[in-house]
Amino acid sequence: MSEPTTATGLIGPAPVDDEAAVPAGARAAARRRRALMWAARLLTLVIVIGGWQLLTNAKIVDKFFWGQPSGIVSQLNDWLRHGTTYGPIWLQIWTTFKEAVLGFAFGVVAGVIVGVLLGQFRFFSEVLSPYIKVANAIPRIVLGSLFTVALGLGIAAKVSLAAVLVFFVVFFNAFQGVREVDRNLLNNARVLGASRRAITRHVVIPSALTWIIASLHVAFGLAIIGAIVGEFLGAQRGLGLVIANAQNNFNPDGVFAAMFIIAVLALTAEGLIGLLERRLLSWRPPSQAEAATT
Amino acid sequence: MTVASTFTRRRRTAQGAREGTPPARRAAQIELSAVTKRFVTPSGSMFTALRDVDLAISAGKFCAVVGPTGCGKSTTLTMVAGLDRPSAGSVRVGGQAVGGITAGTGFMFQADALMPWKTVLGNVALGPMFRGVPKKDAQSQARDWVRRVGLAGFEDHHPHQLSGGMRKRVSLAAALINEPSILLMDEPFGALDVQTKAIMSNELLALWEQARPSVIFVTHDLEEAIALADQVVVMTAGPGTVKAVYDIGLPRPRGAVQEIRFESRFLELHHQIWESLREEVERAYTRTAQGGRS
Repeated sequence: MSEPTTATGLIGPAPVDDEAAVPAGARAAARRRRALMWAARLLTLVIVIGGWQLLTNAKIVDKFFWGQPSGIVSQLNDWLRHGTTYGPIWLQIWTTFKEAVLGFAFGVVAGVIVGVLLGQFRFFSEVLSPYIKVANAIPRIVLGSLFTVALGLGIAAKVSLAAVLVFFVVFFNAFQGVREVDRNLLNNARVLGASRRAITRHVVIPSALTWIIASLHVAFGLAIIGAIVGEFLGAQRGLGLVIANAQNNFNPDGVFAAMFIIAVLALTAEGLIGLLERRLLSWRPPSQAEAATT
Repeated sequence: MTVASTFTRRRRTAQGAREGTPPARRAAQIELSAVTKRFVTPSGSMFTALRDVDLAISAGKFCAVVGPTGCGKSTTLTMVAGLDRPSAGSVRVGGQAVGGITAGTGFMFQADALMPWKTVLGNVALGPMFRGVPKKDAQSQARDWVRRVGLAGFEDHHPHQLSGGMRKRVSLAAALINEPSILLMDEPFGALDVQTKAIMSNELLALWEQARPSVIFVTHDLEEAIALADQVVVMTAGPGTVKAVYDIGLPRPRGAVQEIRFESRFLELHHQIWESLREEVERAYTRTAQGGRS
């Protein structure tokens, strides 16, 4: 049993005589702790952003190279009002988002299917394992050049790159998840008369789901990277193109502004995956870490 | 708890009403003749778990197997269930040689073999579901069994929300729902505290008295073995073989297992079997102690 330590380093609330006051006291302590935490978070943000602004204002750091918070805000404002060189900012965001989501979807579906199949057929997995290792060792981002040449400047090249990046992460997790299925559960299902398909459906996939879902968090980040890098390599619209253009015009504020937009996208997706996770894995006992934050 | 009291009546009506439910299977005789099981360890050496095991359990008898740790008790069960094959000799259930999973087997594993992502009801319903009973019927059968093991009201709980004893009840219901002709139990109550174990033993006996499948009950608790069984088999230290078989003439129904252990006939049997078992336990212990030192 780990005692909850408060921010001040005390172990639990101070002793009280009145039992009825205990829950109220605990609630008040939790409230104080949360308020303090948010204040500290806000302070961190102010120090980082304010420091950056002050240092560039005082010319200690050159804003020509490193940008400036106020410049980033006005760049965002400008994009929202007047659009980018390539059309409205919403169109760029939508393009990148669409590429990332499609790549994510294809990569996840392929990764789960291949992972679950290979995980169950030991012979095939042994035959293919050296090739999989090689494929995993290659920096797959380089495939982007290939896709751009083969598939052109449209959305297909970006979706393919994102899908490849996602595939490997999901595949390895699904594969491992299938291999780690509790033997007791398998034997139990077999004794109860389960067919091979029933075992896959009722035992293997639910058991591997914990692993697969854990990989989705990383996978969506990779899908966005795939889409952006694809756009760097050649595109007609998208946030990657906006960033490349800002780079060519020596505009660090533009790079940071696009980065900020991407971060918002990624956090939104992360939130959605978190929701999915809670829904699909609702059977799990709350973990220590989760129990601590709620 | 008298959860099994209405069993007979309910089963009769259930059989008439439900289609797709197989007729209650008759208890089957279990015969092992000259069964030897060898394993090849990952380092390449050979390990003999069982040697020339001859054992016959007549239909409807409750047989307990005791022996020191590592004498191949669990291996015997997996071979009767058809999860594993003997290296030599034959296993017959109901006169039929075992090949593949033995039909009509109920198995209670030492560790929990419940699917953590399924509710109590979902876990108990697995047996009929795997046999192809429609989901609705499977669930109503499961509801019946959940009530029968005294867990009414816990249908929608997940295994991690239950105590160890309650999880064992779920396992018991899941093993009995298919109305097995043989019931194999691998130290099913080994992890429970003494009081819970006694309660579970009583309930097991009450449920068993109604349907009377043939039982092999593996344990290293001699008192438990005598209190429950018609026949106690003592196995030698590994490689395991049958050292002696004792008939327990205690009348049935046995009543509370906590009280039967004070009867003089029980004490006599205990003394007699323990003499035989102790040698093997000591031999196994010296061997592991030496193995640890070298």
